Amino acid sequence: MKKSMKFVLLALVVLAAAALVIGCGGKSDSASTEGDTTTGKTTLTIGMGGPLTQGDVAFGQGAQRAVQLAVEDANKLPEVTELGIEFKTLDGDDQSEAEKGVTAANSFVSDRSLVGVVGHFNSTVSIAASKVYNENNVTAISYGSTNPDLTKQGFKTIFRTCATDDYQGPTGADDAIKLGFKKVAIIDDSSPYGQGLVAEFEKKFKELGGEVTSKQSTQQKQNDFTAVVTKIKSERPDFVYFGGTYAADTGAGALLTKQLKEGGVSVPVMGGDGLYAADYISEAGEASEGDLATCPGMPVELLPQGQAFADAYKAKFPGKDIAAFDAYAYDAAQALIKAVVKVAQENGADKVTSPAGKEAIQAAVAASSFDGVTGPIAFDENGDNTNRVITLYKVVDGAWVAQEL
Amino acid sequence: MTTERDNINSEAPSLAADLLPAAKPMFKKQRGSKTSPLKVILLVILALALIAAPIIFQGFGQLLLIRIFAIVGLYIILAMGLNIVVGYAGLLDFGRMAFYAFGAYAAMLIGVPLAQALGPQLGGWAYVVSLVGGAIVSSLVGFLLSLPVMRLRGDYLAIVTLGFGEIVRICLQNNFLGLSNGAQGLPRTGQTLPAPPGLDWLKMNVYFPINDRFVIEFSSNVYWYYIILILLVVAIIVVRRQDNSRLGRSWAALREDEVAAAAMGVNTTRAKTWAFVLGALWGGVAGATFSYFQMVASPETFNFFNSVLVLAIVVIGGMGSIPGVIVGALAIQGIPEFIRWFAQNFLSGAASGIDKTVSNYRNLILGLLMVVMMAIRPAGLIPSKRIKREIHGAGGSDGSTRVEGDVLVNGVPAGIEGATPGGGEGA
Amino acid sequence: MFNYIVSQLVNGVTLGGMYALIALGYTLVYGILLMINFAHSEMFMSGGYIGLGVLNLLSNKAVQAAVVARLPFLAFLQSARTFFTGSTIGMILMLLIVFGISAVLTGCLGMLTERFAYRPLRNAPRLCPLISALGISIFLQNAALLWIDNSIPFPSLLPTRDFGFGITPIRIFIIVTSLILLFVLDRFVSTTRIGKAMRATSQDQDAAGLMGIDINSVIALTFFIGPALGAVAGIFSGMYYGVVTYNMGFFPGIKSFTAAVLGGIGNLRGAMLGGFMLGIIEALASGFISSGYKDVIAFVILIIVLIFRPGGLLGESVVEKV
Repeated sequence: MKKSMKFVLLALVVLAAAALVIGCGGKSDSASTEGDTTTGKTTLTIGMGGPLTQGDVAFGQGAQRAVQLAVEDANKLPEVTELGIEFKTLDGDDQSEAEKGVTAANSFVSDRSLVGVVGHFNSTVSIAASKVYNENNVTAISYGSTNPDLTKQGFKTIFRTCATDDYQGPTGADDAIKLGFKKVAIIDDSSPYGQGLVAEFEKKFKELGGEVTSKQSTQQKQNDFTAVVTKIKSERPDFVYFGGTYAADTGAGALLTKQLKEGGVSVPVMGGDGLYAADYISEAGEASEGDLATCPGMPVELLPQGQAFADAYKAKFPGKDIAAFDAYAYDAAQALIKAVVKVAQENGADKVTSPAGKEAIQAAVAASSFDGVTGPIAFDENGDNTNRVITLYKVVDGAWVAQEL
Repeated sequence: MTTERDNINSEAPSLAADLLPAAKPMFKKQRGSKTSPLKVILLVILALALIAAPIIFQGFGQLLLIRIFAIVGLYIILAMGLNIVVGYAGLLDFGRMAFYAFGAYAAMLIGVPLAQALGPQLGGWAYVVSLVGGAIVSSLVGFLLSLPVMRLRGDYLAIVTLGFGEIVRICLQNNFLGLSNGAQGLPRTGQTLPAPPGLDWLKMNVYFPINDRFVIEFSSNVYWYYIILILLVVAIIVVRRQDNSRLGRSWAALREDEVAAAAMGVNTTRAKTWAFVLGALWGGVAGATFSYFQMVASPETFNFFNSVLVLAIVVIGGMGSIPGVIVGALAIQGIPEFIRWFAQNFLSGAASGIDKTVSNYRNLILGLLMVVMMAIRPAGLIPSKRIKREIHGAGGSDGSTRVEGDVLVNGVPAGIEGATPGGGEGA
Repeated sequence: MFNYIVSQLVNGVTLGGMYALIALGYTLVYGILLMINFAHSEMFMSGGYIGLGVLNLLSNKAVQAAVVARLPFLAFLQSARTFFTGSTIGMILMLLIVFGISAVLTGCLGMLTERFAYRPLRNAPRLCPLISALGISIFLQNAALLWIDNSIPFPSLLPTRDFGFGITPIRIFIIVTSLILLFVLDRFVSTTRIGKAMRATSQDQDAAGLMGIDINSVIALTFFIGPALGAVAGIFSGMYYGVVTYNMGFFPGIKSFTAAVLGGIGNLRGAMLGGFMLGIIEALASGFISSGYKDVIAFVILIIVLIFRPGGLLGESVVEKV
């Protein structure tokens, strides 16, 4: 009996410690709010969810920088300072995995000063996390999940700034036909994003008279594509369409193109936004030359406010390249901030985080209409951005270059 | 002190004797004979604390903490299932996530259409049916898996269960038979799970603001915390009773020496099959609940690494020990999440980036802790009283797989065997 | 069609060579300590990282510049670069150095883990070192992720040309080198004195000790050889796939362990056979049935083999002693 007694005691100690820690947490929090009232400031938190340490980190870390930029820009705005609001960001690392994403979402909604979330990147993660946001009435704006299903769940709190795969896949098929490609070998990476994208692509490509020589899938986190390459080689397609992301540690794009070219399949790889990252080229090296990728939006230089955004980004984060979805993350943060400011002006800054405030933020985001970095931002009844531009890019001399077809 | 010493002493003969079916009365007598009032009081406090905890956490808005405890609870149930297979019956299993997956997917496949059929009023009760369904499906799979692997032992069994786990995960990912909806998992887009029974009512009616900062309210996290707590208590009671039953003793005999057990009249095939079925059952229960709690069942949760983590929970806690499993789950599942939670709540104001650094290092710390814990307490944090001997390897107590010729010969090194001379440790 | 089958076989044999090298590490340790060394997959990963590090130090201008800026005494590397990258002899020498240093360092890492994580547990219950190894594995993966990088491209060193059937220089290099290493190890264990000591230790540790064999050094040596071979496979993987990642060891680790069991764990030739078999099964399954289900097919074959031969292909079935 001694052992179990010890165990009960241990359990009690753990619980007591937890309670103590929480108590302290509460105290330190209240101390900071008291401090805030003396300076008249309300701190509001914006969650930033994406792959930050593992998975498709280029898209996660890039967005993290963009959101930070958006928040710092917002904190300088006169209407924000007048209201006594100070925005800050809270990072949630989902590592491109659904379960981690749900945990991150729960940690966001645990924050009392949270006004909304920018995130997540991978469609799997966004879809899983969206249920948490919806239940807790938290507005979440995805900046990079292109799987159409995300906003078809009937959730009022979920928005996204990027265009979806039902535009991206067919556009890719269109462009491929225009480039004179007739035969394609299709590969997906067994992720919802990859499977969804290739399904949309295949439908349109066949409709346009193209021929699909084979459909294969690769496993996540595996790096041996040699058998797939040999198979493709025997089929002699005009190009390979890959539904997946670039990252080598999740076993994807960069590895595939490298192994294809080394295996003697010297046709271009075409993919979606998941490939459109500078890291794709740096990880695949020369093998990536001539590869193609479609991506929502336009090149930053061509965007109305793009140059200003690029300048500010480079000034704040010297040496960092702008990833494909950074501008979308910036716009998502902007949409959220503008909505919060509007609600704060109408109801008072202290009411923003109340249940009614959260509903008001949703309504305000849904009614968004402003000129963002990526163009005019407005959301349709599902919560998708009405501005659906898709651009085709090609690797030329080791850099992505936008193509006019 | 003297009573405790008496207890330990009284155990020694029973330990040696529990290989024999005749040892039954000795165990019966020992169980529940002494329950000191202090222990009762402590247990009551513990129970009250566990019941109050989510309300307090929710009150402070710490949803993440409720979630951490709920997930730890699920892993305790899962690990108790594994504990039956590994800790009691001594069969090494690396594919625990397969049963979790069967529970989760069966619950989704049963629950979603059933909820639609029942309509909005009764749809919530689909969870109860799903829970039973998940448990049944999972146990059936456990039974089917036990058929071909009866002849295998030790590490060969381990690799077959590993393979089984991977087969299940990959089939789910490839939308096997069109059932599993590929990488996205279930439920499919457009299908939703109804709230479980009573949750909506509780959410509407339980709302008592104490002051600006503390509100007593109910959320789905709190709800599932309580469901998991109830399941956990049920699991503990059932598994404890099992352990002391005839079946439990045949497992102990099986674990110690399969050949001797068979010679003494233990039906080893039957005992092994039951270990697989009952172990799978708890996997199914945990899986079904997990999918409802998470509101999704997707294949990447059920990977090999998580299977091994469940095994680590059992070993680090102490094989065959229920309190051990609880502490093990807190350590393995809890520590990384607590580190993250701590960093987020207490270090975010500190020097820039320190919170991120600490939270990124949580798995590194877990890895180191696992090594250290094993070095300090090789028998587990709270070792089982019954298991004072280790699990024997590839060939029962003898374990010699002899391969002649100029290749390596594999047998149990005497150094390992010698660590447990004759089972007299209890004395 | 013939061309296609042979090409897939070449893929399979190349993959199998790597599996065989890794599987040897599992089987060696298992033969002596009866322990599944979960950290072995991270030895493979470490080998890849260390190999790439050495390679960059010898041949990458930017890396050299960065290193020399901190450690001026390494300046001679810069002058040696043209020799290493310019000539065939230099290239061969560079590969030897890369493989040598990586194998030795990874071998030492293996010995370190044995000394600090497994030796204290030698008399503990059997599952303890397993969990300890798992801890080491988690630690090393996160160390590579946090302290180095999640993925680093590996430059292609050998020319890319196809001699037919997809036989490329890199594939010849991997297959030939692994066959040589497998042969050398087999001879080493079966003929040398140290090899005999290893076999004796695996048969009966105590008796071997009484016969004057230093058990600790034999075990340490085992933990050197296994990881060193794993490191070679890690560099192969880097050269072949063109990248090293912090989680690159995970799947090859599972597969190689499977290969070791398929051949009969504890049995060196079994591990080699299992490795090549598994590689070929995977390539053919992927090429002819489904790339998505290739692992399912591999595992199903493993389970069938184990049901009919519970001790693996070359292992004898378990003898029950009554």
